[in-house]
Amino acid sequence: MDSEKIKSALADMTAEQDPTVKSLKMASLCSALWAERGVELVVVGGSAIEILTEGAYASGDLDLCHANKATLPVRERQEIMGLLGAKGGPRNWEVAGMFVDVLGPVESFAHTPFRRVQAPFGDVLVMKPEDLLVERVLVSVYPGENQTARDCVKKFIAVILGGDMAVNWDEVRRLANLPEYRNLPECEKLVKEIADELKVKSPLHPD
Amino acid sequence: MNSKSKVPCIPIEGSISYEDWLKGRRHRRELGELVAPGVIRRKSSSSDRRLKKLFNGERGLPFTPTEKL
Repeated sequence: MDSEKIKSALADMTAEQDPTVKSLKMASLCSALWAERGVELVVVGGSAIEILTEGAYASGDLDLCHANKATLPVRERQEIMGLLGAKGGPRNWEVAGMFVDVLGPVESFAHTPFRRVQAPFGDVLVMKPEDLLVERVLVSVYPGENQTARDCVKKFIAVILGGDMAVNWDEVRRLANLPEYRNLPECEKLVKEIADELKVKSPLHPD
Repeated sequence: MNSKSKVPCIPIEGSISYEDWLKGRRHRRELGELVAPGVIRRKSSSSDRRLKKLFNGERGLPFTPTEKL
């Protein structure tokens, strides 16, 4: 990506006042620049949930992880983010009126692909909803009840059941049975609750 | 409800175009608002110091109202 294109992208992002669009554009630009050096980035955590649900949940930082095994030395990370006029580092930076964290290898158990959005400066990979759902249900219950996480996952499930985001329910069930989560009953209960509210059938409760 | 959605779905395979992602924003927001309050941004986190400094005491930019999505 040449410097004129970067400059134009930065001006666009700096002016952007919608936090979700700004995050997506930032992820798009960072992904393009890191990909030129062999590292695939994926949006994770609250930023991923926001891009997938518009849940009015995320704060002003963007969390990214490495989706492939490649990594970059600190010097190169600083050089890339320097192209964006970033401040700070070597794992978190302030760029164009927001924060970007690059957290290392992604933690994912689902066999489904990362979701992909064709964003303005290049494709953005987004964490798999199957992982996000099971993880967020876990956080809503353990180590103690967490209302924000519960509201977040309720919205997440509503978007899925409403047909706006596709998930593999067999994979959700498999993940929830893994030793890493062991929360299938909690997942079934919450999905049923939302399905009942929306008056649809729960995909985790087949006849 | 699954088959009735009139907005583009974020697919498992392949990708969603930017235009389709934008087009679906309002409906995704509205679906969430059926089951939980509108804004559910956390009140605090370990990033509070830097966030509040950058966003004038808030933890991020204000969300676009649903009717403007």
